[in-house]
Amino acid sequence: MKKYTLYPGCVMQTEQYGYELSIREVFPVLGVELVDVENFSCCGEPVKSINQLLTLYLSARNLAIAEQQGFDLFVPCSVCHFALSECKNILDNDGGMRSRVNEMLASEDLEYKGKVGVVHTVDLLYDHVGVKEIKKHVKKPLKGLKIASHYGCHLVRPSEIGRPVDSENPMKIEAVLEALGAETMDYAEKLDCCGGLLLVNLPESALTKTGQKLQAVEEHGFDGLVTVCPWCQRMFDSRQKKAGETVAAKLEVPVFYLTQLLGLAFGLDERKLGLDLNLSPVDKLKV
Amino acid sequence: MDRIGVFVCHCGVNIAATVDVDEVVDFAGKLDGVVVSKSYKYMCSDNGANLIKESIKKFKLDGVVVASCSPQMHEHTFRRVVEEAGLNPFVLEIANIREQCSWVHPDRKEATEKAKLLVKGAVAKVRLLEPLVREKVKVTPKALVVGGGIAGIQASLDLSEKGFHVYLVEKEPSIGGRMAQLDKTFPTLDCASCILTPKMMDVKNHPNIELFAYSEVVSVDGSIGNYRVKVVRKPRYVDFDKCTGCGDCVNVCRMKGKVPDEFNMNLGKRGAVYIPFPQAIPLKATIDPEQCLFLRYGKCGRSPACQDVCEAEAIDFTQREELVEFEVGVIVVATGYDLLDPSALYEYGYSRYKDVITTLELERLISSSGPTGGEIVCPSDQRKPGSVTFVLCVGSRDETVCTWCCRVGCMTALKQAYLLREHLGDDVEINICYTDIRSFGKRYEEFYRRIRGVKTNFFRGRPSEVKEKKDGLTIDVFDTMTNKLFEIKTDLVVLVPAVVPRNDSSDLGKILHVSRGADGFFLEAHPKLKPMDTFTDGIFIAGCCQGPKDIQDSVAQASGAASRAANILSKEELEAEPLIAFVDEDFCSGCATCVSVCSFNAIELMKKEDNKYVARVVEALCKGCGSCVAACPSGAMQQKGFKDDQILAVVDVLGGEA
Amino acid sequence: MSIKDLTSMAEAQVELREEINNRLLRLQNELSDYCFQCAKCTSGCEAHKLLELEPHKIMALLKRGLIDEMVNSDVIWTCMSCFKCRERCPQKVSPVDVLFALKNLAVMGGKQIPGNYTSMLQSILSMGLIQDVQEVQTRDMKTRRREDLGLPRVSKPKDASKFQMVLTKLAVEKV
Repeated sequence: MKKYTLYPGCVMQTEQYGYELSIREVFPVLGVELVDVENFSCCGEPVKSINQLLTLYLSARNLAIAEQQGFDLFVPCSVCHFALSECKNILDNDGGMRSRVNEMLASEDLEYKGKVGVVHTVDLLYDHVGVKEIKKHVKKPLKGLKIASHYGCHLVRPSEIGRPVDSENPMKIEAVLEALGAETMDYAEKLDCCGGLLLVNLPESALTKTGQKLQAVEEHGFDGLVTVCPWCQRMFDSRQKKAGETVAAKLEVPVFYLTQLLGLAFGLDERKLGLDLNLSPVDKLKV
Repeated sequence: MDRIGVFVCHCGVNIAATVDVDEVVDFAGKLDGVVVSKSYKYMCSDNGANLIKESIKKFKLDGVVVASCSPQMHEHTFRRVVEEAGLNPFVLEIANIREQCSWVHPDRKEATEKAKLLVKGAVAKVRLLEPLVREKVKVTPKALVVGGGIAGIQASLDLSEKGFHVYLVEKEPSIGGRMAQLDKTFPTLDCASCILTPKMMDVKNHPNIELFAYSEVVSVDGSIGNYRVKVVRKPRYVDFDKCTGCGDCVNVCRMKGKVPDEFNMNLGKRGAVYIPFPQAIPLKATIDPEQCLFLRYGKCGRSPACQDVCEAEAIDFTQREELVEFEVGVIVVATGYDLLDPSALYEYGYSRYKDVITTLELERLISSSGPTGGEIVCPSDQRKPGSVTFVLCVGSRDETVCTWCCRVGCMTALKQAYLLREHLGDDVEINICYTDIRSFGKRYEEFYRRIRGVKTNFFRGRPSEVKEKKDGLTIDVFDTMTNKLFEIKTDLVVLVPAVVPRNDSSDLGKILHVSRGADGFFLEAHPKLKPMDTFTDGIFIAGCCQGPKDIQDSVAQASGAASRAANILSKEELEAEPLIAFVDEDFCSGCATCVSVCSFNAIELMKKEDNKYVARVVEALCKGCGSCVAACPSGAMQQKGFKDDQILAVVDVLGGEA
Repeated sequence: MSIKDLTSMAEAQVELREEINNRLLRLQNELSDYCFQCAKCTSGCEAHKLLELEPHKIMALLKRGLIDEMVNSDVIWTCMSCFKCRERCPQKVSPVDVLFALKNLAVMGGKQIPGNYTSMLQSILSMGLIQDVQEVQTRDMKTRRREDLGLPRVSKPKDASKFQMVLTKLAVEKV
């Protein structure tokens, strides 16, 4: 068993339980042990528009807490993963900023040393566990299902700070899906945004983005959409109905977390994967 | 030397504004061995030179220090001055108090102190200098031209016209290069082959030009005046003398129509035996060993069809590659350019969508000798495009790909827009997405105006991506002229890719000892004043191997390079640089460390009478780089003009120990 | 010596421009001055079609020093932070990060913060997370709480007062 500290972020652990449940079910099967830690906080990215320094501090704080565990940090949320990666990038290259942040961290007896690695669901599956290992556990292949992948902006860009996937042609989710027996296909809107971060101040526009992308996925004839980020899932799945109303279309796209599909292919119990919490018509798919 | 003169230059205000020249003169005058110390406003002027000459005679000087600009600028000037005054030119030392002092230090007091130290160091070195003799070397009055594109062709013709023998080496089966792939040329719309093929014929027919096509330079030794060149002639598997270029073999090849045709940018197919294009020089068939069934499997039908059909009995599967050696006095490098593979910018869809092509691919589609016989069609379905959209600066002026401007992209797109209008008529929609139109050459701006007049839609903005939707290719482009985002639905997207160095330019650079810039293009010795010279004497560059340029500039530079090369070839002998390495045999243990570090093969081991080995410097090959001197563990290897004691004298001064 | 925008009579805010540039240099190691207005950012901007955000124009206004015009405009709040502009910029400039800086300036200058940002900020201050634990619904309209699902306790700052102290201090600092 290889150990990783789990960083749950805000959205996953306060509402996107399907992601957390499926993660906690699937990874032990793949030989990954997740360590829970108290004391984490928001990564800061959702309030970067208000105060960038606050974002940097919150990210550094979480990294400092993770460092104390001595394992790499598993960050399932793309937005958090971006924030922590950018923070690392800044603090590892700017000694002045690092000592300034460390002065503030001292009040909670924390220190950022730059020693913790940060991984996301996608690279944990593809690079750490590997497609070969995943294949070994497939009991119910997702035969005949054509799945669209949605990587989410924060996971793919900007390549300058180092992202787990290629910025223009990410293919790791496809590789995992194919290992599960599903079909994949490139589509023009693959890299389009879910609109999620605009929900806080411009919900109409945010939902329009969501609706437009779901319409495209339907038009391409996909059987479903897969996500790897709680922000994206809460748009495509939790708010699919609203998104449909916003773009005046009846949307019926089954949306899954990648880890839920893994669980299904591994033959795990749907309930334990939190599948009943998906609000999109996932029953449409007979897996 | 103990009668040294020091001459300090003001260089106008370049030195004098920061360095107290009078103080340096006073200081120098009191140094051991110095008998006269003077300053002048411009020491490199006639009056300055006369001041030095008169002082040498009047004070019977035996050594000279000039404190002025970098030795790169005027060392040769002052060597000549002291020589004219009757001294050996190598008893001179330059103290660089401009580039290494006045230009880089703001504080006058500190700069003056440093200038004094630099002068003191130079004086200390001059005291230990010895007169050196320049050896004479005979010049081989022949030239090697590498690359048979328009630049290499022009350089070869110019040099051969001047009466010199030229070896022209071309990697491909035919000369002609990129220009042979073009349909028409901007801004005159001359047919590229119509103006190129006469020159190619001239190359073939000129008695002074020896053409090595389908050959590559594999090694170059020696130095200016005498380079020893090895060339590998690749086997064509066709007897060069017997082949008449009739093309019968091409027509019957069992692989006909199955091999991607590189001359047509892989848009068409050729056979295993092929002639790249109808006007090829030499007009000889070539068998591609990677594709030929007989060469790969030892079997091709009952017997190879090419062999059966060839009346001249020219097919020869037993051919092997052949090594040819010759000597030349100079080398002109004209190896051209590659286009960036646009899949580097994945967002533009080049590798994903068939109907996203490059300008060079479109050039082959327009050409009547191209894969479609001049029919302009979309590669995906062979249908005539109703709309064609150009995207300029693909990878050019881009900090993440190629930082430079390709210098031909704008004009190429404008020219192709014109040709599309001409070929496809009034109905075709032509869109050009540009960042800036750079129509800088003679008559280019006029051409740009003309294209604006043939119903061309200019969008001033760079698309972010090319998408394939169910109704075809779609480009969103924000046009900063109208301040609006436009969606262009189009049939054919033509990318204008960056111009990049040839993919083998790094290897060739190593073979020739020619350095390359950060961009990978061969580096000129001076961007303004020596644009065709390299840092290796006797080797010149022309055309796009030095940097992107259009045909007219390539031709001009090629003629320039030929003329620079002829300056050397027209001399019977040259004076060799004496600042080279030499061995003190008493200290040499024959360890051969020097042999291994020498990049010029200029050191060999020699067996002495007592059966011990010592190193020996081949003076004609040594470039005086100093690597062996630094590497020698025993101090046996020394460099004339930079001996250990001479350098250490300077170090002692600068380190404050003398 | 002066350069004035005759539509608004605004002049370049040179110091503010320097401050933003220094911040970008610090956080993203980039200089907005290199922008040459190719508009590749706007061509691909996720927010442009819906909300008329023009990243290249933001860069141009910044280079002119017309900062107030942007800080006072709602358009800076339309960015979806998809990072396409930064990823694809041929001059390695990052409009998305300029927008973050401008929004920060607007907040510092006391402009009204749009949408639910304030409540998110307050939630972070009080409990360390952008929102409290939610009850969710299943597809067949049943309510589920986190603890019903067998998930462990949420991870949040243990010592809320120390956590709050730093954040309050930080709120008034400059990058």
